Amino acid sequence: MKLSRLIVARPNFVFISLALLILLLSSLVISCWYKITRRIEDNVDLNTQNLYSGLLSEIESIANLVHSLNSSATKLTGLLSWSINQSEISFNEIETKVAPILFQAFSTIPYISQISYVGLDGLLFSYYIDGNQTLSIYANSSFSSNSSSVKEGKKNVWYKQQVDNNSGKLYGEAVRSHSLDVVNTSWFQTTLNDSKAYSSVEKGWNSAGDPLFLNSASIHGRGVVSLAFPVKRLTDIYAGIDLYGGSLSLATKDGKMLVDGIPNTKLISVNNSIALQFTKPDGEVVYAQNFTCTPRNDTSATYIMDIGEKKYSVHCSPVEISGVQSVYALALPHEGLVSLVHMNSKLSLILLVVMIVMVIISIFSFVLLMVRTAERKMCLYAKLIKQMEATQQAERKSMNKSLALAGASHDIRASLAGITGLIDLCLTDAAPRSDFEAYLKQMRNCAQDLLGLLNSILDTSKIEAGMMNLEEEEFNLAELLEHLVDLYHPVGTKKGVDVVLDPCDGSVIKFSQVKGDRGKLMQILSNVLSNAVKFTPEGHVSLRAWVQKPDIESAILASGRNGLHKYLSCLFQNINEACSDMEVITAVRQNPNSMEFVFEVDDTGKGIPKEKQQSVFENFVQVKETATGQVGTGLGLGIVQSLVRLMGGEIGIVDKEIGEKGTCFRFNVFLTTMETSPSTSEGEKESQGGPMLGGTQQHSGLTIHSPSPRLTVRTSSPRLPIRSPSTKLEGSQVVLLIQSDERRRISQKFMESLGISVLVVDRWESLPSALKKIKSKLISSHHSSRRLDLSSRSDISSTSSKDMPLSAMDGAEHKLPLNKRRGAPNFILLVIDANAGPFSEFWRVVSEFRRGLHGISCKVVWLDKPTSRSINSISLEKERLDPDDEILLQPFHGSRLYQVIKFLPEFGGTLSQGISANLESSSATKHSYTPRSRTPLHNEEIQEDASSSDERHRKKDFSSATTHTHVRLNSKISPIHQLGQTEMKKDGAESSTKQPLSGQRILIAEDSPLLGKLATVIVRRLGANVEHCKNGEEALKLVCSGLKDQRNDGGHYVLPYDYILMDCEMPIMNGYEATRRIRNEEKRYGVHIPIIALTAHTSGVEASNTLQAGMDAHLCKPLNTEELMEAIENIHHKRM
Amino acid sequence: MEVGQMQGRLVDYTKSLFMEGFLDGQFLQLQQLQDESNPDFVVEVVSLFFDDSEKLLNDLTMALDQKNVDFKKVDAHVHQLKGSSSSIGAQRVKNACIAFRNFCEEQNIEACLGCLQQVKQEYYLVKNKLETLFRLERQIVAAGGSIPLMEMGF
Repeated sequence: MKLSRLIVARPNFVFISLALLILLLSSLVISCWYKITRRIEDNVDLNTQNLYSGLLSEIESIANLVHSLNSSATKLTGLLSWSINQSEISFNEIETKVAPILFQAFSTIPYISQISYVGLDGLLFSYYIDGNQTLSIYANSSFSSNSSSVKEGKKNVWYKQQVDNNSGKLYGEAVRSHSLDVVNTSWFQTTLNDSKAYSSVEKGWNSAGDPLFLNSASIHGRGVVSLAFPVKRLTDIYAGIDLYGGSLSLATKDGKMLVDGIPNTKLISVNNSIALQFTKPDGEVVYAQNFTCTPRNDTSATYIMDIGEKKYSVHCSPVEISGVQSVYALALPHEGLVSLVHMNSKLSLILLVVMIVMVIISIFSFVLLMVRTAERKMCLYAKLIKQMEATQQAERKSMNKSLALAGASHDIRASLAGITGLIDLCLTDAAPRSDFEAYLKQMRNCAQDLLGLLNSILDTSKIEAGMMNLEEEEFNLAELLEHLVDLYHPVGTKKGVDVVLDPCDGSVIKFSQVKGDRGKLMQILSNVLSNAVKFTPEGHVSLRAWVQKPDIESAILASGRNGLHKYLSCLFQNINEACSDMEVITAVRQNPNSMEFVFEVDDTGKGIPKEKQQSVFENFVQVKETATGQVGTGLGLGIVQSLVRLMGGEIGIVDKEIGEKGTCFRFNVFLTTMETSPSTSEGEKESQGGPMLGGTQQHSGLTIHSPSPRLTVRTSSPRLPIRSPSTKLEGSQVVLLIQSDERRRISQKFMESLGISVLVVDRWESLPSALKKIKSKLISSHHSSRRLDLSSRSDISSTSSKDMPLSAMDGAEHKLPLNKRRGAPNFILLVIDANAGPFSEFWRVVSEFRRGLHGISCKVVWLDKPTSRSINSISLEKERLDPDDEILLQPFHGSRLYQVIKFLPEFGGTLSQGISANLESSSATKHSYTPRSRTPLHNEEIQEDASSSDERHRKKDFSSATTHTHVRLNSKISPIHQLGQTEMKKDGAESSTKQPLSGQRILIAEDSPLLGKLATVIVRRLGANVEHCKNGEEALKLVCSGLKDQRNDGGHYVLPYDYILMDCEMPIMNGYEATRRIRNEEKRYGVHIPIIALTAHTSGVEASNTLQAGMDAHLCKPLNTEELMEAIENIHHKRM
Repeated sequence: MEVGQMQGRLVDYTKSLFMEGFLDGQFLQLQQLQDESNPDFVVEVVSLFFDDSEKLLNDLTMALDQKNVDFKKVDAHVHQLKGSSSSIGAQRVKNACIAFRNFCEEQNIEACLGCLQQVKQEYYLVKNKLETLFRLERQIVAAGGSIPLMEMGF
């Protein structure tokens, strides 16, 4: 890494240093190599020198080997001279005396090839070897006289005869031979005159005439003995010597060539020097060179000369061979071995250089490659870093943008709030019904719309930033659903769309008391609902809800996007966020009380094309084809999806069957169901909350459903009903005439699921015929046993109707009396939508139907629109309703549906009154119109109930909507929203300007100075006179003294304080104790001071404690103006 | 510094307090209660809260220090603290108190001590924040400006 960085940083430097290194190395190697070759060369030189000198010495020693014959010749002469002591010897003598000696010498002396005796007179006897034969040649003079032979030597006869190898005897025929003129030869003369032996090279006797080394010695001047051996023998020896490519020439000093080895040359010896004549093959002399021959011991005389193509070094030296002075020249190839070494070293040098060059090239290319790659790497790194920086910058920018957006929308919201507030202020001043007011209202609407838009944008950014948290609280889901549907009902009705709440199997009602984020759930539902209403031009929108146990399958389904791979990624990457997210979800699911609530919003609108279904949940996306003419940012569903996921669920679009119109959104959330029995707390609340709410108004589907203990969560099987449908048929008959198909279907389904027999009439024209059918059936079955029925019915009414709660009812118990009637309904409930047809017509049909009923009770529930009351205004003037009839306002679902069901005797409806009335009406038909005094009152009451409950819901709803401003309904529903807010604002404006408590005295008992101060200021703001004390005891004292003072005053008692705000937990004496004492004290004076408890507890237990202690109301800390006012108003109403 | 700038800073700071959850709507209501008749109302109430809380925290520390912890007493203290903190809108202190009370019911000393630490921490945090807020307000008043009224939709 470091190296490569260095390489990249300074490639030139590296290259140069590398080159230097390589040069250094190669020079070292080469010099080393050079030294070694030098040494080798020297060695080789030395060796060749040695070799050459060895050769020379060998040549000379060979020459020396053959010089000993001279002495043997001398010895032989001595021997001969002794045996031939006379001066003249004859041939015979020679033959007898000389010849044997000669033969002895011939056969004993090695290498000898010719031996001879020559006398002065020309007599000659000689042995010689010719080829393989030993021959003798002699000159015989016996045929002439001795003297003449001496005188006329020339007349000697020459013979040649074979010789026996062993004995030396002549045998065979003597052959005349040509004469050999030996006496006249120079060597004979020289030897004769010389006392010493003489040696020369002569031609031999044999037929070939081979040259011989001839050693001769004189026998005291009388004759000469000569011994000879062939030159050939010497040359053979020389030829046997390996001359290492050299060649040898040998010549006697007198110019006879002995060995002619050097090619194309002729050796000519002149005195002490020799001349080499170079000849061409044809014998022409090219040139000659002279050499001085010196003895070998001197510094060897070597001459360099070119012979042919090659250089030769020529050694020239005199040598004595067998007494013959001769000269030899040895031509050896000049620098033969050394040149080989030279050549090899040259070759190796070339190889070495080539190798080094190769190495250099490879190293350089390698380094070059490395540099390239490193450069590329660096380049990539740089790019990566740049990219990362860019990414970070982009992220930062986007972060800043969202922050800026959040900040800006806050600011905008603040100013918008200012605008709306100012508009409200202006509205109070504006003349009612003036254009000015209208404009102001429009302005306010616009501002509200804007606020809604902003809120949705803010929500998005909040979700993006992950700042959205769930706020857990307890609430009633069934109520929530009903209120929501009620909210959208008027909007839908305006367009002609019916908004229906479908209770499905009623499981939501059973688990209605849940804990979860009410605001967000409401936001989700209202968003989806408002979308559905907005995009549905006709038909209906239904909200279905049911509960199911969170099972593994649904968990997997719901967590499709955070499945196994998320766990894995959690494991490996430690993404804390994702993990914590998962934990939350799993925690939600692992809670044993946690239930999965599934909601479906089904509409009959245009629907969403399949390919767009995924994208509608993305932010800022609207399906254009359907959104024509609609406003909105397209944020709604995106927020909804985020919220649903936040609550652990999933939202999606359910595929509808082909041919069905519209869209169906389905989502599920996980909520914790409360274990506490909902009915009791509900009841308490009701009784405490409003005395105005009649018993009939009791909300309770809950009580309807509690009876069946088997009620399983979300089962589609018909086990839900209290009894099996077959037996059920015999109970009551419900006739449903509702205009809206969907609502009718849902109501029917729900009632049937409870086991109620339902007859559906879809058009008002067919109502009479339907009623007739029922009637005929009734009469036929009842006519005979009417009495029995009556008695049994009274039984039933007494047992089941009075105050027997539904929950205690058992199917079996019930079946018995009902079965007696053999399938005939004893109670008929007509549910008639008053808007479905002309009311007068209905009324006529119904009253006619009633007339024919014999003791069978019949109840009519009229459904009326809240906006246009057809019953009250038009018809009630002329016609009178039956006292038992009810008028309910649309929408007919939720609590109103349950209420209607409760009219049925099986579900606790009061029959007695109905029966009596019916009996009356059946006996005297004209009577039925009379009880006018009762009817309107009753009706009025119900109406008021309904409207007040409606109002109350709405109020509650809006108060919650304003207190939790998080609950931002999408801008789409702003009209309603706005409606509620204006109401609230009017309220608030009234109370704040009027100072509703002005002139009233209020005692505040609060130990904490902080809270005391706070409460004091708040109450004082409302215009009251405030006294503050620190604990219960003080409060008690104050009250007592106040009361006493009044008594002293005499006259009637005026309350010392109009209200007391009492903290529950105080030192010395707590709130409960103080209240109890005050109540005791009051008794003596017969007054009752309202005491409002202040607690920081929010649970119901504490609330009931306060009531037990005798307090009138209970408020949660921190003290809130609106709540206080509400409590005071309640108390006030109660007292009135 | 210019008054307008300071006012802007004050608004930003207050907003940040709400955004970070130190304060909730109750504090706004407190501010609305302040008028000409009692101009220092918020400061008074908050300083009362400080006194009260410090006393309570001391008591709590003492109570939890003892060998046999009287959980009822601790619970009462915490309850009181919760009440006062929720009254001035010190949301985080209140939330810490809620957790504290749950552990009190379980009689879990370790967790209680942990919670006490947390409550203390939250308390000092909010105290610091509020003091800063008041200091800003005082500076504005000293510079002759008026304190901008918060209109927040929380």
